[in-house]
Amino acid sequence: MTRRSFALALAAAATLLAALPSAASAEVPVLVRVIKGSRQGPPRLDPRLEDLKRQLSPLAYVRWEQAQEKRFDLVTGKPAFVDLAGGEVAGVTLQERRGDTITIEVALVARNTQTRLTVEKGQRILHQLTAEKDGESLFLAVMAWP
Amino acid sequence: MRECVRFAPMIGARVGELTPGEAKALAAHLAECKGCRATLAAFEATDGLVAESLLARANSRDFGPFVDEVMARVSGGREASPAARGGILAWLGGHRRAAAAALAPLVAALAVLVYVRVGTGPREIALLEIDAEGEAVTVLQTVDGPVVLLSPGAGS
Repeated sequence: MTRRSFALALAAAATLLAALPSAASAEVPVLVRVIKGSRQGPPRLDPRLEDLKRQLSPLAYVRWEQAQEKRFDLVTGKPAFVDLAGGEVAGVTLQERRGDTITIEVALVARNTQTRLTVEKGQRILHQLTAEKDGESLFLAVMAWP
Repeated sequence: MRECVRFAPMIGARVGELTPGEAKALAAHLAECKGCRATLAAFEATDGLVAESLLARANSRDFGPFVDEVMARVSGGREASPAARGGILAWLGGHRRAAAAALAPLVAALAVLVYVRVGTGPREIALLEIDAEGEAVTVLQTVDGPVVLLSPGAGS
């Protein structure tokens, strides 16, 4: 019986250890949206951005519209790119995954800027892409497991 | 009577216990004292009865299969062990110290795992893990996630 108990404990530990790397290497589906914020015009929030309301409302922009929407299955270390107006490119890379916690890198190629943020499932990353020009600016919203 | 008190302890003595003088005096007293002769007769009648009884009981027991019986009881005890009766839980109940020693590292590992993965809330994780290179950024932390803003006045 001692051997059987030991074997069961060993099997449980092996299962646990085997689950961790498989979870870390799995693809993570993400929803990437490009959003335009404007200071001018009547206040308006694109209905498709309703889930971002609490992150958008503290900002100075009053008019929010969704410009692009893309879905990717991110694999660790492989970037996905989003083309922006004016030739700018934004890269989104899954740096690390630990269960429901992921680290995402948002890279702005033309600005040579990389930002790494760790969020949990259900959270969204809102990242400004372009500096404000004529009262407008572009933002990138990244949400894992949409 | 005084003589009887003197010789009473000598009655029933085994060979060699009395000196020749004591044995001779006792024999002379027994020849004259009827009561002491009766006492000696009673001694002689019961002498060895206890030993014979114990020996008889010992002989009545057959020790031939003694080893086999002991081994049978030992193996029988194993078969009736808690593990055989009730599986792992019964085994753990019967070997508490061993079970505790075996489970302690596993419990400690699980505790560390829970502490690392659950002990820190999402806000703390996001705040600690924010890392930017290149242009300076400002990060607003909200319940729904971080908001990263480029530094004002930066060229596009």
